[in-house]
Amino acid sequence: MVCLPMANPYLVVEHLTKVYERGQVLALRDLSFTVDKGEFLVVIGLSGSGKSTLLRCINRLIEPTKGKIWLDGGEVTRLSQARMRRVRRKIGMIFQQFNLVDRSTAIANVLTGRLGYLPGWRALLGWFPEEDREKALANLERVGLRDKAYVRVDQLSGGQRQRVGIARALMQEPELLLADEPVSALDPATSHSIMQYLEQMNKEDGVTVIASLHFLSLARRYGTRIIALKDGQLVFDGSPQAIDNVKFKEIYGEDAEEVEVR
Amino acid sequence: MGPASDGRGVVLSRRALSFALDWMAWGYVAYCVMYLLNHYWYTVYVDWWGTLTLPTWGWPVVILATLELAVGCRSFGRSLGQRAIGAEFQDKEGGRITIGRRLARILLWHISVPLFAIGFWRGEDPWHDRVVGVSLRPISPDPERPGRRALATQWGILALFLGALTLWVGWLIVGINFQVLIRRAPQAGRIWGEMLRPDFRYFTTPDPVFSLRSQSYSILDLAVVTVFMALMATILGAAIAFPLSFFGARNVMGFSPVGWAVYGIVRGFFNVFRSIETIIWGSIFAVWVGYGTTLAGILALTVHTIAALGKLYSEQVEGVSPGPLEAVWAVGGSRVQVVRHAVIPQVLPSFWAFTLYRWDINVRMSTVIALVGGGGIGDMLFYYKNQGDWPKVGAVVIVIVAIVWAMDYISGWLRERIA
Repeated sequence: MVCLPMANPYLVVEHLTKVYERGQVLALRDLSFTVDKGEFLVVIGLSGSGKSTLLRCINRLIEPTKGKIWLDGGEVTRLSQARMRRVRRKIGMIFQQFNLVDRSTAIANVLTGRLGYLPGWRALLGWFPEEDREKALANLERVGLRDKAYVRVDQLSGGQRQRVGIARALMQEPELLLADEPVSALDPATSHSIMQYLEQMNKEDGVTVIASLHFLSLARRYGTRIIALKDGQLVFDGSPQAIDNVKFKEIYGEDAEEVEVR
Repeated sequence: MGPASDGRGVVLSRRALSFALDWMAWGYVAYCVMYLLNHYWYTVYVDWWGTLTLPTWGWPVVILATLELAVGCRSFGRSLGQRAIGAEFQDKEGGRITIGRRLARILLWHISVPLFAIGFWRGEDPWHDRVVGVSLRPISPDPERPGRRALATQWGILALFLGALTLWVGWLIVGINFQVLIRRAPQAGRIWGEMLRPDFRYFTTPDPVFSLRSQSYSILDLAVVTVFMALMATILGAAIAFPLSFFGARNVMGFSPVGWAVYGIVRGFFNVFRSIETIIWGSIFAVWVGYGTTLAGILALTVHTIAALGKLYSEQVEGVSPGPLEAVWAVGGSRVQVVRHAVIPQVLPSFWAFTLYRWDINVRMSTVIALVGGGGIGDMLFYYKNQGDWPKVGAVVIVIVAIVWAMDYISGWLRERIA
């Protein structure tokens, strides 16, 4: 039974459960929440609390064990693999470890963002249309890496790599952006610059963002709403201001101390 | 998952494997002993060149004796098979296992195993273990006793013993004879001397002796043919192995039943075809397309190249970092696009290195494939050798060395460039 509110939320997650390894590990337990269009939702929680699994269940890189997910009114958990691929074109994703091909150039990596739109034979030959190349350069320009377009990715710094990852997601012209700990591998200063690109996508392009983050300070600064996971369960859902010291200890455990990222 | 959570099937098959290993080890020792008895004292009659014949009572005695030895060894301390699976018998209450209990276990084993259908397995231990109160557990090192040097342990001594036994029996079986080596040195010296005065008369002009076989070729002709055999086989083999290798990679094929089936078939094909040596493929194709034809040689080299490169390529594909694959899936890419844009850019350099390495092998192989009718410069080599025309053999050998060296140099240089 689904009770959709008057204005349909953009994303609905209902009773989402994921069990790994023949019932040994419960990664997500009966998770339900909704996300409105244009929100910047931050998912917080300890390592292993199920943040990555949750994000990957939304675009079904990981198949949920139970539960349903609606995106923009369509039930993604019921789609065939072929139809799911079409839905994924509109869902950008950036990763903690960037997930770029290190040996390829920045522009080659950015262009892969268009693969979902390319006919099979063109993709097989690697012939991207001219407008895609121009768009790739424009997106690299946008993340300040126009001059690095033809540099191999393994020559770039961590922050630059993540910006290439953002440019790749921009190629998709996404409606939804999933960011799986986008700044965990980066230093604090770089973290803010990356988060600002995400904020810009959210505010200027109207992209709904779901980002998992380690630092509460970053979550408070950029999120419009925060949900917290603990052992795969939803333990908090509310505004960033609502997380007080008591809530914090509940999410991160009694011994946790809050660390600022400035 | 730890060993405790392994299913009964896993436990049973591990035990069976370790038992089979013990039995086989003792079987090997028994074989060697019988061979030595036969060789030095003729106490058992064994027709080693025909079927292995023992007296009628011989087989059951050997089989039962080795079985008893295996069971005995397993009851007393750690046997080879137990060592192989890293397990030992431990007392359930933590006490020492006395000799009496060990002997009792051997006796009970003879009741338990023939009647294994009746309540043999309960939990993790068979009946004879439960009664005696022992259990096969992962080896727990004794913290009180420091480790000894590898060769001073019972395993080191056993390894030395088995190695010495193998050398002794192997010496007799293979028939190593140093006297022959010395006695016939002058003959070899004469041949060496003739080969060192190579006859290059037919380097560019065809040798008339081959007109008997209505063929006309010079050393240089066949040298060129040989180089092209190796090149063709490498290019054709790599071109076929390249697409096939993705079907033989676990991470590309996924875990659907169809994926498993295709993976299994392709990997099976690679393994079987690779284990049949090029020389054997050569004799098959020589019968098929004609003895002494270059085509037979190229086909043999190509088939083996496909299988060998396919396996190397597949393993490389399985070793790529999974991140970029995930990224292409996430943008809505298909399986083909994942391979094209996430896998291939990662594996291409090592594919090149493997292909060049295979080229080296193919060059060397193509010079001798004629031995089984595969054509190429080896055809000339073996013809002259059979004629006893050693100066010409010398010339051909020099050309072969030059070809192999030159190709080796080029491929080494290319490999350096790519790496």
